Amino acid sequence: MNNESTIRDLSAPHDFFALVGTIDAQSEPFFKALPAKVRHSLVKFDFTRAGRINSMGIALLLRCFKEIRQGKQAEILLEGLSPMNTMLFKMTGVFLLATPVAAAGSSQDGGK
Amino acid sequence: MQRVAVMFSDEKDASFWEGTLNGIPRLLKISVDNDLEASLERLRRAGGSLRLVILSARLYPGEHPELAAGIRAACPGSEILLISSSEEAAPQLKPLLVDNVRHLAFNSPLDAGRDREYLPGIVSRIVDRRPWEISTCLRKGTAIHSFQLLSSEDKEPLIGALETLLAGDGEEHEMLRQKGSLLADELLENAIYDAPRAPDGSKIFKKGERRVMLPEERIVFSFGFDGETLALTLTDSWGSLEPEVVLEHLARNQEGDPVTDEGGRGLFIIWRFLDHFHLNVQPGLETVVGGHLQLSSALDPLLPRGFHLTELNQGDAA
Repeated sequence: MNNESTIRDLSAPHDFFALVGTIDAQSEPFFKALPAKVRHSLVKFDFTRAGRINSMGIALLLRCFKEIRQGKQAEILLEGLSPMNTMLFKMTGVFLLATPVAAAGSSQDGGK
Repeated sequence: MQRVAVMFSDEKDASFWEGTLNGIPRLLKISVDNDLEASLERLRRAGGSLRLVILSARLYPGEHPELAAGIRAACPGSEILLISSSEEAAPQLKPLLVDNVRHLAFNSPLDAGRDREYLPGIVSRIVDRRPWEISTCLRKGTAIHSFQLLSSEDKEPLIGALETLLAGDGEEHEMLRQKGSLLADELLENAIYDAPRAPDGSKIFKKGERRVMLPEERIVFSFGFDGETLALTLTDSWGSLEPEVVLEHLARNQEGDPVTDEGGRGLFIIWRFLDHFHLNVQPGLETVVGGHLQLSSALDPLLPRGFHLTELNQGDAA
């Protein structure tokens, strides 16, 4: 597992997590711990540097997003999705919990 | 002796499928034309020799949801292959699960040339109870690369080897590489962690844990690419994947709430990313999961794919 997170600008009105590398069973500790780090009612995930996401990775994302939405009452935005991951998220229902937005690097990236 | 029958809704439906079904020998063609009882009687008369009944999705499951049960009664022991036009709404899988319909194929006008060869080939395999083989969908002479796994640590290098084979510039190649590596990941995870079962049916290994293969265990990953078609297959020596369980996973993930975590998502992803999905299982002996996809696939990635779920007993395979 080589996911890493960067929480940028904690004073901004959203939390920001950048995902790096493969998302699979090895990512479980990272995604289990992630919801507790959420402080705002808006959470952004950047997938620009995310690699392959397998079914276990999808399960972890769904569990994590569900907990953020239900436990933190927060909205989730997804940035930097590749066509492949967009396709995968559509077919597995990830977009029922999180909304895709323009790629990272746009005005929404980082410090609001 | 007629071994294959096909049931259409009407003459228009029959005309639509005519070209695709050309090449199937001694085909008993039945146009239902609103007289289901007479059509089933024709099937019943031929029932003893029929190995396969091809069913147009114009008839089932929407128009006549009871038809599969009627076919089972008329021709016990025959398999059912549902054929659907990719231009129409895809059939829901729940009725197929209930009726144990294990074969689904789509016809796309965009793939007409390929499908003309595809359906007769599939029909011939079902009738003769021959398992699907990776080489059948690749150009003659294409190298098939096969690797036997020794431990779970072999997974990433094998995915890397597949990505190397799919080297090439452009969006199509990049997409095929990404699809191929995800398919390989899911197939390998399935064989390494889901296939091994204790006598009580419980899983032996936890996803993600490092493990070496057991002394009698055999897991082989094979793939080939002929420049247009990627075919890949995973064989394990457990024979623990049951066709009805696979169909249940596909149906639940197609129709159910994806947020619930009931499993089978890996098989669902494999099905959706392949152009055609194949499972051959010899219970307790061997499971082969695989299929093929095109570099320039015209299929909508969000629509269901064809599948062929075959249970073979010893002596069935040619």
